[in-house]
Amino acid sequence: MSPIQQLGQVFDAVQKAKAGAPAFCTNFFPGESKLQGWIDHGELSGEVHDGAAFFLRKDRDFGHFYFCAADMTALQQAITAWSGLKSGRMVTDLIGNESAVNRLLPALEPAGFRRYTRLQRMARMGRPETGSGGVPVDFAGKADSRAVLGLIENSFDRYGEQLPMPYEIESAIENRQVLAARRAGALAGLLFFETQGLASAVRFWAVAEKFRDCRVGSTLMQHYFQTHNAVRRFKLWVNLSNENAISKYRHYGYAPDGLVDQVLANEMIDA
Amino acid sequence: MKSVAEILKEIRPEFDFTASSDFVADGMLDSFDMITLVAALDKNYGVSIPGTDIVPENFQNLQTVEALLRKCGAKP
Repeated sequence: MSPIQQLGQVFDAVQKAKAGAPAFCTNFFPGESKLQGWIDHGELSGEVHDGAAFFLRKDRDFGHFYFCAADMTALQQAITAWSGLKSGRMVTDLIGNESAVNRLLPALEPAGFRRYTRLQRMARMGRPETGSGGVPVDFAGKADSRAVLGLIENSFDRYGEQLPMPYEIESAIENRQVLAARRAGALAGLLFFETQGLASAVRFWAVAEKFRDCRVGSTLMQHYFQTHNAVRRFKLWVNLSNENAISKYRHYGYAPDGLVDQVLANEMIDA
Repeated sequence: MKSVAEILKEIRPEFDFTASSDFVADGMLDSFDMITLVAALDKNYGVSIPGTDIVPENFQNLQTVEALLRKCGAKP
């Protein structure tokens, strides 16, 4: 794989795979600003195969694998021949409805990817919220960056849940996208969100272990809803194995919207 | 046959798509929602929208979606 230094390299590679491809398949959906961030931080590399383009994004001690392919056959042939799959720890996400995800599995599993975990998207409509919280909530500040990163890394699975890099946390804090609840000067909980127009997504919602059952999580969620009264659609991705979180999200009115994310891992990542 | 606006309303009833000139910027559609919309459009209009056309520019507003359908041989 060669390092990608400009957005144009990505577009060219994708276009080559797309050319004359009615059955085009991909798991590469980043927005332009996210893509630019990966390039600026030297995280993205790519290579073009016959009928397919592969991308790899560095993340901590592993990589995220993305593909764009003319069709399933081109994908299967290119990935089977690709030696890079055994070059290090790697995960990939298949996103879509259940049947679309299941259609892609036969191209990736024989090449060496296996099912690691599965997420589902949940959504709720906006509605006026009232209620009071048990702890004060404000936006996280620069000084909270390390604590925010630590709480996220301790609470979520780095392979399956797309954890932010330190620079993404700093940027989110600067853009007032991280709510913080504090107790005795410590970060007791956080809610990391992204709002775009009339929609808002919870990326991470976590409470430090010693502050659980203190209404920290509920206060953060209520505060989030109350300060987003203009939002018409709230959404999030949650790990299907996290029954506790799913039941909490259901309590707040979230329901599955039909999209799933099947995370696959190569053999260098333990099950 | 349903109109594009009716299909969008079924998928995302919380939004007024007729009032937006940029669905993506307004947060009404994200890249994953486009997958759901394409499946609904294919079924409703009996077409197969090519993967090469599943790009944000074609899903910016009602006019661009309708133009895409016409390109695929449908009569929205």
